[in-house]
Amino acid sequence: MKEQLEALLQEALAELSQASTEEGLQELRVKYLGKKGAITGVMKGLGALSPEERPLVGQVVNTVKAKLEETLDARGAEIRAAVKAQRLAAEKIDVTLPGRKSPLGSKHPITLVTEEICSIFAALGFAVAEGPEIELDFYNFEALNLPKDHPARDMQDTFYFGESVLLRTHTSPVQIRTMLKQPPPVRIIAPGTVYRCDSDATHSPMFHQIEGLMVDKGITFADLKGILTLFISQLFGKDIGVRLRPSFFPFTEPSAEVDIACVICRGKGCRVCKETGWLEILGSGMVDPEVYRHVGYDSEQYTGFAFGMGIERIAMLKYGIADMRLLFENDLRFLKQF
Amino acid sequence: MIVTYNWLKEFVDCDLPPAELSHLLTMLGLEVERMEEVGGGMDDVVVAQVLEKNQHPNADKLSLCKVDNGKEILDVVCGAQNFKAGDKVALAQIGATLPGDFKIKRSKIRGEESCGMLCSEKELALSTESSGIMILPETFQVGTPLFDALGTKDVIFEIGLTPNRADCLSVVGIAREVAAKLGKKVHYPGLDVNEAGAPIEGIASVEILAPELCPRYTARHITGCTLADSPAWLANRLMAAGIRAINNIVDVTNYVLLEYGHPLHAFDFKLLSGGKIVVAAAGEGEKFGTLDGQERELTATDLTIRDGAKAVALAGIMGGGNSEIGEGTTEVLLESAYFNPSAIRKTSKRLGIHTESSHRFERGADIAGLTRALDRAAQLIAELSGGKVAKGVIDVYPAPVEPRVINARLGRINAVSGLELSADEVEDIFRRLEFEVTATEPGVFQVKVPLFRVDLEREIDLVEEVVRVNGFEKVPATLPQASVFSDLPSDAQRLAAKVKDLLVAHGLNEVINYSFVAPSSCEKILLPGEDLRSNGMVLLNPISDELSVMRTTMLPGLLDTVVKNISFRTLNLRIFEMRRIYLPVEGEELPQEPLYVSALLTGRRDPEGWNQGKDEIDFFDVKGIAENLLAELNVGGVNFSADDLDPYYHPGKACRILSGKKVLGSLGELHPTVQENYGIATPLYYLELNFEALLACRKKQGAAQVPSRFPSTFRDIAMLLPRELPVADVVSCVNGVKAPELEGVEIFDLYMGGNIASHEKSVAIRVRYGSKERTLTDDEVTRLHQRVIDALQKKLNVSFR
Repeated sequence: MKEQLEALLQEALAELSQASTEEGLQELRVKYLGKKGAITGVMKGLGALSPEERPLVGQVVNTVKAKLEETLDARGAEIRAAVKAQRLAAEKIDVTLPGRKSPLGSKHPITLVTEEICSIFAALGFAVAEGPEIELDFYNFEALNLPKDHPARDMQDTFYFGESVLLRTHTSPVQIRTMLKQPPPVRIIAPGTVYRCDSDATHSPMFHQIEGLMVDKGITFADLKGILTLFISQLFGKDIGVRLRPSFFPFTEPSAEVDIACVICRGKGCRVCKETGWLEILGSGMVDPEVYRHVGYDSEQYTGFAFGMGIERIAMLKYGIADMRLLFENDLRFLKQF
Repeated sequence: MIVTYNWLKEFVDCDLPPAELSHLLTMLGLEVERMEEVGGGMDDVVVAQVLEKNQHPNADKLSLCKVDNGKEILDVVCGAQNFKAGDKVALAQIGATLPGDFKIKRSKIRGEESCGMLCSEKELALSTESSGIMILPETFQVGTPLFDALGTKDVIFEIGLTPNRADCLSVVGIAREVAAKLGKKVHYPGLDVNEAGAPIEGIASVEILAPELCPRYTARHITGCTLADSPAWLANRLMAAGIRAINNIVDVTNYVLLEYGHPLHAFDFKLLSGGKIVVAAAGEGEKFGTLDGQERELTATDLTIRDGAKAVALAGIMGGGNSEIGEGTTEVLLESAYFNPSAIRKTSKRLGIHTESSHRFERGADIAGLTRALDRAAQLIAELSGGKVAKGVIDVYPAPVEPRVINARLGRINAVSGLELSADEVEDIFRRLEFEVTATEPGVFQVKVPLFRVDLEREIDLVEEVVRVNGFEKVPATLPQASVFSDLPSDAQRLAAKVKDLLVAHGLNEVINYSFVAPSSCEKILLPGEDLRSNGMVLLNPISDELSVMRTTMLPGLLDTVVKNISFRTLNLRIFEMRRIYLPVEGEELPQEPLYVSALLTGRRDPEGWNQGKDEIDFFDVKGIAENLLAELNVGGVNFSADDLDPYYHPGKACRILSGKKVLGSLGELHPTVQENYGIATPLYYLELNFEALLACRKKQGAAQVPSRFPSTFRDIAMLLPRELPVADVVSCVNGVKAPELEGVEIFDLYMGGNIASHEKSVAIRVRYGSKERTLTDDEVTRLHQRVIDALQKKLNVSFR
């Protein structure tokens, strides 16, 4: 009987090694271990054995069963692994095909630059102020020390709706509106849309500025230089060269243009900086006492600075845009890059 | 303003190379916008000698020359005839680039090789006209670069002057700045006038009838002049400054204008009736022919220079054709006067004449120094034209102007600038600027400012002068010691950024359109003429008619953007713009400028792609965006109404957006006629929200809800409804069942057509039940669900499927 069992085991193992599917394995399991299986059949003969033989043969039966179970499981695992491997191989896809996408939105570069600049100044304690785009002559010119017939009005070609109503030519009227509303100290920036009747590759009839104003006791021109140098290093990087050079604005005195080392050629001279190595990015200065007179501040007690910059100019430098008109053509092929 | 390096050096000792001088000027506030070498880059044009001049074998009018450039003998073909063998000439060698970007290359002319070109003055931009090639003096060394040999190498600086610096509209003015910075003295040219003529009193007279417009008028008389071309040195300098040389008298007035900055005018004295000058206002409607050949109609506010009978010049702006220097002029009356800046400005603006002269007078001339310019010009005219200057000057100056005296406090200078200058340093700067300084008390300077500095009136102006001349680079960079205060961004600013972020997250691209639109834009979007929005504010001086009206709605701009992008074959568009519109307010000067959030979508919902959805955008895409936005901003009481739609919407596929009864905006498909008006093939979906209205309708943010720890149960209901019944009624009916366990309801299917009767629609909803305390039993849910079914049946009379 023992021999019969051994023979069955060998036969089963041989068949097992041939099985290649899980179904085949299941059939073999039934064939040998099932209720009507071969091993079960042999075990039915146990009863006929003597009590001394019975445990011995029983042991053999258990060993054979265990061996068979073990082999069945192992073979099953092998087959499953092979099947899985086969499935995985068959499931290979072309990963170079593009993925499934939702439409991608974008902010306008003017918005991006405005947000960046506002956040730099927010960290320096500047609050954001706003004012109307359609302005009165008083706020846009008169109170900024630009009386009628002043030659400096030629610097700014103005769109008019009537004698005294116009499209603001700069964000500076926000200074006046803010100072008329609150006593010093003042620390604001005012981003906004401004207009001048001018249109070519470097001028757009509508563009954007950010104005800054800080008025308090003891504010100096050196402070202006410090704040703007800090701002520029945050916007363009620590190593960028900065210089202030004298200029003229009717509402500041002393007045300074602020140049940065050309971001294209790093100061060596190129077409963008007209071979000067410098790029003008900001107008600034100490608030003129005449402006304080218009808003009722005491210019002996308070000093302060103001500055203004064109956002387009900065966006063009940051993103390497040569023609300002691109910013207002609203070509999605352009805007989707941001 | 243009000056040249050599010209400046006549007035100030400055050994800085041109590039450093340029930097110095820029850092003084005289920004050098362009620097150009005259004769620079032309070293390949050299002095050469013609050795042989032979007839070209194949062309009658050409000659074939052998030319020595000092290194080798070259063959050159030349078309000019005004030279002979042995002459020294200007040879542009191969590789030279002549003005006008004309490159000299090796070439064959009618079969003969030519290794260069013999140049005329015109080709070298040394004159505007020339006949034949340039013949150089015998003494010139063969092989020397031509401009070195001519000694005319120079550097042109083009300075962008700020409007306050009238005093720098001259070579002398700029030299004064350089001298101040370098601590040198300006060499003013000698002003000895050789007065060889008769006393002027017997020759001419001047009378001022409008002293407020002309506070000073001076004149000299020169006789025996011979009109001729100006010498090259003078003509070249005028040319460098962009002024055309005319004759030796007019050119001198222009030369002195550039040198001293004071405009002069020369009259042909014989054409002045009665030999006199009267300065008076023009007659109203008076006609006057200016030098440029135009006839101008004057008004009583225009100032004229007149003789005994008629106007002979538009004061300070342009002379008249009737007294012009020209053929036959021998006697000259030279004017140097001061005119009221704002009067000049008004006339020049009204007549649209802007001249070198008006430019200076309207910025303010030097009332004290104008005789220097007069003397300098009289002497030069006499020298160049062989004339005699009459003895004496006519100087009508009824109320001489005194220089301004300004007090400047040392403490103030340092307090404003952040510098720590000593009294000596400040005083030194004032003196270098030719200001007279007296110190009356310690720390206070009494500064007498010369009259040429019309820009200096107040202490702060002097503060600027000190900081400027001392050098902006010496100002330290400090951070302000400010009182601690800081405003956080307001809700509006924070939420505006959030709205943009949200729209970007929904795949929208931000655009920025001009705030001005075409007058026809409202009509194109079907707004009737009586609509407030059809009456936007109109610009008096627009760039073009297409950009002449301030927008009252964002829609036309967005439509234009769609059209433009479709023309570039960008067909799937989801764009938004968050900017202001401008609505006039009855009785107010300034309009309202509400901030609007607007979006326009068209084309496919998903990006193009092999595995992307192919559906087109519809009403519910844009509604979903609006709903998300309103939810994110926590706007309360949101409801949608299909009534009272704007005419630009499809009447059946649009709605207004409200919070309670307050209108926040609208959304929907645009009217097919609008689509046609813009020539767009695909349906368009528009959303507009008034941002300030949104802000006003925000709910307070409530406490955060803790989600239940027990699972919810769903039950579905499918029902048939009358087609006209809004599904919103179903939802509100379900929500009307007051049970805390009813957690929510969702519409998950809508079906029309097929086997559904045409007056009905099939709607399926899913109701969610749950409790925070426990998992609901099947029985509990069934009882709750039955209440929902009963409510639907009772209130809406639906039939269940």
